[in-house]
Formats: sequence, C-alpha cells, structure tokens
Amino acid sequence: MNHSATHFPAGAGYAHPLGRPAIEAHGLGKKYRRGWALRDVSFRLPAGRVCGLVGPNGAGKSTLMSLATHMIRPTTGGLRVFGQAPGSDEAVRRTAFLSQEKPLFRRFTVAETLRLGRELNPRWDQGVAEGIVSAGQVPLTARIGTLSGGQRTRVAFALAFGKRPDLLILDEPMSDLDPLVRRELTQTLTAEAAQHGTTVLVSSHMLAELQYICDYLLVVANGGLRLAGEVDELRAAHALLAAPDAGPSPHLAPHRVIESRGALGARGDEGRPGVLVRLGGPLEYGERAAPPTLEELLLGYLRSPDVPALIAPSAQPGDIHDILTRDQPETVTA
Amino acid sequence: MTTPTLDLTPSVPAGPPRDGGAARRWGPGLGGTAWLVWRQHRAAYWTLIGLTLLGVVAMVWLRGQMMDQLNALDASGRTSDGLPPDFEKYADRLFTFGGFLGYVPVLLGVFLGAPLIAGDLESGTVKLVTSQSVSRLRWLTTKLAMTAGLIALCTGVLGAVFNWWWSPLRGRADTLEWTSSVFFDGTGPLPVAYALLTFSVGVAVGMVLRRTLVSMVVTLGVVGAMSVVWDRFRLDLGNVMTATTHDGAGGGLPALPDQAVQQGQGASFLTSSGEKLDWMTCLAQQEHTKAHTACLESKHVVGRAIDYLPVSQMHTMQWLGAGIMLAVTAAVVVFVMTWGRGRLL
Repeated sequence: MNHSATHFPAGAGYAHPLGRPAIEAHGLGKKYRRGWALRDVSFRLPAGRVCGLVGPNGAGKSTLMSLATHMIRPTTGGLRVFGQAPGSDEAVRRTAFLSQEKPLFRRFTVAETLRLGRELNPRWDQGVAEGIVSAGQVPLTARIGTLSGGQRTRVAFALAFGKRPDLLILDEPMSDLDPLVRRELTQTLTAEAAQHGTTVLVSSHMLAELQYICDYLLVVANGGLRLAGEVDELRAAHALLAAPDAGPSPHLAPHRVIESRGALGARGDEGRPGVLVRLGGPLEYGERAAPPTLEELLLGYLRSPDVPALIAPSAQPGDIHDILTRDQPETVTA
Repeated sequence: MTTPTLDLTPSVPAGPPRDGGAARRWGPGLGGTAWLVWRQHRAAYWTLIGLTLLGVVAMVWLRGQMMDQLNALDASGRTSDGLPPDFEKYADRLFTFGGFLGYVPVLLGVFLGAPLIAGDLESGTVKLVTSQSVSRLRWLTTKLAMTAGLIALCTGVLGAVFNWWWSPLRGRADTLEWTSSVFFDGTGPLPVAYALLTFSVGVAVGMVLRRTLVSMVVTLGVVGAMSVVWDRFRLDLGNVMTATTHDGAGGGLPALPDQAVQQGQGASFLTSSGEKLDWMTCLAQQEHTKAHTACLESKHVVGRAIDYLPVSQMHTMQWLGAGIMLAVTAAVVVFVMTWGRGRLL
C-alpha cells in the first residue's frame, strides 16, 4: 500500500489491462416472480484475481453466481465467461462451481465421488483431488452420507479443484466449517489459485476473512452493484477521516461522505470512529486521514445504500461492440 | 478410521481408475455419464433385472407344469371336445400371472420414471452434475436412454415368455380370449410400448413437480387415467367383421372363425336390406310365437348376424396401439428434453 491516496477522474480514458476477463457482465438482470433479484449489473472481473462477492442476504450474490454458471438464464443483458457464453462447452469446462448446499450423492463413497469428477471432466486431476481429501483424513471408502459437514465440504472442494478450473466459483464455501478447517481450506484455496493462476469468485459473510484471501471485490446490495475493483484500488479511493466533534469540517469539502460513524457510538461500532469518505481530490494520509480497512469499507457501503456505486476502471466492462469485435476473430480461428 | 493409501504425486491427469481399495462391485464396464447413471441407479436397475429373471423363472416353471398336464390329457384323448374342467386351474394361473404383469408398466412409471429426475432436483445433485464438464442434455439423454433401454429389454422378455406360456392354450380354452387385456396388452410390442409410455410420463411429471413423492402419486393418477382410456378404446383399433346367416330369424346363429371374439350385445337380426337390428327387436312379442314371427317378418328379417374380431387382426391392432403409444412417448420425451435444457434448475 503506497501512502498516497488516489482518486478516479470521471470518464477516465483508462485502457483495459491486456487479456480476456474471466467474467464480463453487461446490463445483467434477473427477474423472479417476486421481483428483480439482480438489475442492470455491469462489471468485469480480470482473470487471475481472487474476488470476494459481498452483500447482505438476498442481495443477488447467488443469482449472479448461478448466471455465471448457466444454472439460470438472465432476464436482461448478458454475461461472458472467458469471452464465451456461460453454457458453452468451453465456459463449462473452464468453470467449477460449488453451490451453497454442496450437493453430493449421499450413497456414493468418497472414491466414487472423485470418480464422478474423473468420468465427467476431461481435465480432471486425481492427484489434487485426492490430496485435498486425504489432508482432512477423509477415508476414501466412506459413504458421503456418513461424513460430517466439514468432511463433506472438503470432498466438494476436492471435486471442484480436481476439475482444474480456470474460474472457480464458490458460494459461501466455509459457512459450515470449524475455524481450523476453514483456515486450512482457505490456505488450500489461495495456494491452488496462486499456483495455477485460477480466477476465484467467492461469496462470504466473513468480511474480516476476505481481507486475507481477496485482491478483488464485488459488493452487491438490493440487486445492484455497489462497489467493484481491486481491493487496494478501492481502499486507496477512500479515506477514514478523523471526525470533528461538531459541525461539518471544511476538509470534507471535496470528498463524498459515505458514512459518518463512531463519534456518537450510536451503532455500537467495533471499528475506528471517523468519517468514511470517497476521495474527490488528492489527499495525504496522516494523523487525521487513514486508509480504511476492507471491513470498514464494506460495512460503510452496506450501511449506506444511497451512496452512488463505485466501479473502479479495472472493473468497468468494455463497450459491448469492443467485446463483440474482440470475440469475433477467436471464434473464426477456433 | 481407516488410513487409505494415497497417491499424492500431483497432476497425473486421468490416471487409471482407483477406487481406494473398495471392493469392486460387479457391473458393466461403463465410462462417463453412463457410469454415473449406472452407479446412481444401480439398485433400481438390479432390482428390475432381478425381478424380471424371477418372473421368467416362475413363468417357465408354471408353463412346464401346464404342459405336463396338457400332454397327459392329450395322450389320454380327453381333450377331443375342449379342455376338461380340472385343467381350469392351469388356465387360471396363466390369467392371474398375466394380470400381475399388467401392473408392471404402472410400477415402472411410478418407481423408475417419477424419481429419475425428481430425485436429482430434490436433493440438488442436478447442480452437482451440471457443474461438471458434460452438458446437461447429454446427461439427461444418457439417463433416459439407459433406463428406457433396460425397461424395453425387461418388459420385452417378460412379454415374450408370457406369450410362449400362453400359445399352447390359444384357441383351446374358451375363457382365454385374445381380446382380454391380459393377452392383448401383455404380449407382442404392447408391454414394451406401454412401459416406455408410463416411464416417460413419470419422468415428465417428476421434472415438472420436482418432488419425488408427489411425482410418484401424480404419476400413478395420470397412468391410471391413461389405462382407463386405453381399455375403453383399444378394441376400436380393430376392424369389426360380421358373420351372417340367411335361414330366417329362427335359424341357428352364424358360426364364428376359430378364436374370433364376439363384439357388441349378442346376435342381431339381419334384414333383407342388409340392415342389422339389435337383439331387443320384437322382444315385447316374445311371449307369443306367432306375434313374434309376424313382428320379425314385418321388419323383413331374413337371418342372424354377429359382430366379431378375428384373431388375425391381433397383431395389426397391437402394432397400431404400440405405434400410438410410442408416438405419445416420443412427444413426452421431446417435452422432457426441451424443459430440461431450458429450466432444469
């Protein structure tokens, strides 16, 4: 983290980094009978990132993941996985998905579950899958139905990693694990991702934990995108200013206040007191201005739904025509 | 807790099958989706195969008993004018067993068809499978094709063996008419076609309702309703023939060809214009022979007529019925595929 904060000028002519994004969404929307679960979401997730997907329950996280894995179809807009439609052979082959319920065949043994992965995936890596299973001392001959929740999650992890995906999508993967197993699997996750350059999209409620895993972030609330970009990039675009005891402070002027908190203790905050602002101009960090932690940033945005969304340049999708023309040559040569 | 021996060398792509020391079960050497489908449903498949074999063994044994008795009767010359009453129990067994076989398609629809997809939808394993590298259409096709193939094989074998059991009695026992649903639905192409139809209906119901138990109950209802409709209309597939006499209303009834089954209500009266008057004609005058005769004469009755279905039509009717059933099956399968592709989850 450098000590000089940055701000993004409006309408910046930033060039996109080279390489095809892992996920690119354009005006993505999904309407269920009860209403819109996701509405007009546009973003890109560059390849090779470990991206946290954060939001309150029912914010649209699972919907977004299901759209990316072709489990459901969008009502409006569309999305591409490595430049391909989500249901296409290539996208399916390169994507692994671990849903929240982690369904497995209960009457299969662990070995048979891994065989399922081997039979149904051309890029299957038995060594990696067995390694993950054996690290948790899960016997290969045990039936899935007899395993504990943690062991079952481990087998589901093994199945996802054994597929050798380029994009790994995990929906609340750690929710039913004890802290030790959670740490262990988190390490496995980050190590595997780093070793193979896997892009990971992981949703979680454990904000503090995400800090150690993620270098990228998507925040959704009420079916819309609130924050998107690199963690460092996003943190550097904000500052936690020391709150003056009374009245608006002049040094807040160029910035946009996201959340003012702590001083009155109204919310019983555990974090530092101060005013979270999105920078509107250059600022030197110092005694009265510090970069927010990821958790402070996330909580600030989740609590202030009226603040306009911030999509960092690296997360802004290209023009739809760019995407079409960029995808065109590859399809022809393929 | 056992400590399995593990190969921890990384990245051996698609190595030889290792089942972690688990005892290998006997089963067909399948790969890919076929392996998965067999493994997932092997209990149901083995049950079906086992029950089929059991049924075949039972039928072979019962037929053996029947043939012993039949040969003994033939040798003693007691069968010259029909089978004796003490043979009836062998015919009854055939009829009862055939009645049980008639329930096989319904059971297949309820216990194999309905849970086939509904089970995966209910337990969420459909998400597990579709997040692998195979397309859901391929998985669905394998699942349907393997189960349907096995059902066709088993019901085909049962139908053939049952036909083999029945054939020595064809035309020899008055009570065993070929138009009876036991023989008409239980032999030839019909058991296979009917089982495939109930199976596909069960799959479709399960796919729409997404709950195993509810699907089984609804399938039972739907298949039951289909049976009622089929029983009502299956004989309409035939082309009813008429046997006539021209020796007056008081003459004998027309003779029917061997194994022909009379249709309609009794013998009717044939008029000189070829019209058929039903058996109630002039019934009011039945008491007085003179008046009765006069009544019939006033209607120009010249003889008697009986409607019947000849046994020669049996195969045509069965294939026609099977064709209709298979066409409906195909339509249901197309629906299942379309639905499954679009909104399986």
